[in-house]
Amino acid sequence: MIKVYSTPTCTYCVTLKKFLTEKGIKFEAVDVSQNEADLQEMVDKSGQMGVPVIDIDGQVIVGFNRNKIVELLNIKD
Amino acid sequence: MLYDLIIIGAGPAGLSAAIYAVRKKIKTLVLTDSFGGQIVDAPMVENYLGLPEISGLDLIEKFRAHAKKFALEIKENCEIQKISPMSNDLFEIETDLGSFSAKAIIVTSGKKYRELDVPGAKEFDGKGISYCATCDAPLFKNKNVAVIGAGDAGQDAVWQLTQYAAKIYLLNKYPDLRGANIQMQEKLKSNEKVEIYNNYEPIEVKGDKFVKALVFKHNGHGEIKEIAVNGIFVEIGSVPASKFLADIVKLNEKGEVVIDQKTNETSRPGIFAAGDITDIAHKQMIIAAGEGAKAALTAWEYLKNK
Repeated sequence: MIKVYSTPTCTYCVTLKKFLTEKGIKFEAVDVSQNEADLQEMVDKSGQMGVPVIDIDGQVIVGFNRNKIVELLNIKD
Repeated sequence: MLYDLIIIGAGPAGLSAAIYAVRKKIKTLVLTDSFGGQIVDAPMVENYLGLPEISGLDLIEKFRAHAKKFALEIKENCEIQKISPMSNDLFEIETDLGSFSAKAIIVTSGKKYRELDVPGAKEFDGKGISYCATCDAPLFKNKNVAVIGAGDAGQDAVWQLTQYAAKIYLLNKYPDLRGANIQMQEKLKSNEKVEIYNNYEPIEVKGDKFVKALVFKHNGHGEIKEIAVNGIFVEIGSVPASKFLADIVKLNEKGEVVIDQKTNETSRPGIFAAGDITDIAHKQMIIAAGEGAKAALTAWEYLKNK
């Protein structure tokens, strides 16, 4: 399962979600500015407070790290 | 792997240089920590010829499409650790993604935000300390936060935070707010969520797992204050991203790469530089793109003789 934690204002979050969509990757988008519990979940998972955070089957990546995401999802870039 | 040319940076200067280089059939690699560079922070760009109104993000997408058309070889999220000139006229570039060799280098790594340099600043980076108010302001709903730096960017960060935070403390090292946007300054001064501390500078960030407090000091009479905050936004300007070049090429007192303004040559033959990292007068996107093209054409001349 893939979960993307983001805020609506963060450009890297928009880029990340657009990138996944373009590559045909399905993900759950969580807007952490809307819900305290979601924000806490992201902080607990990543140990930090920056967005975006992507959780790929339990592997957590902070920021839009294109290389790592491409590698973990095994997609062609 | 050996390349003719390695370009460091993928903002307007680096990408423009790369496109000129590949059109000259130069075997080129681009290494960058972030595609697009500082453009990502521009909400709207209105002075790039041919694109009267475009967001920084959309402009980066256009750059990406352009790079794709010319099949540029780009390694992203790549941090440069060291450049070593070798005895055989080659350069070796060590990065966190491995080592690469080239006959010539164009440095276009631009500028990056100035990091806060007080005890606790590194420890709590990302743990309450943020350098991107646009990204992270919504995470501090009903929380108390501080903004360090009261120039245009700091004022803008405070304004964004007023939509979310309960209370915003603005630390200003000058006696009054400065900058171009007088209207904004009036808005902040009259906003009851905002408390401005003029003539104060940060001395320590405290916390446990996350930020809990900011300690700051009056730069005249020396009074020290401590306020409880969950977030600290840092907006203290930018610096050239030239750390890895210190012993390699001549830098000026600001840390900018000194170049021959006609040819983009640095003090070391084989290394060229372009864009915001150099000592050119104007740091503008369209100028950086032109400078990148200039550097590539000089590098082409240089490589022809190799």
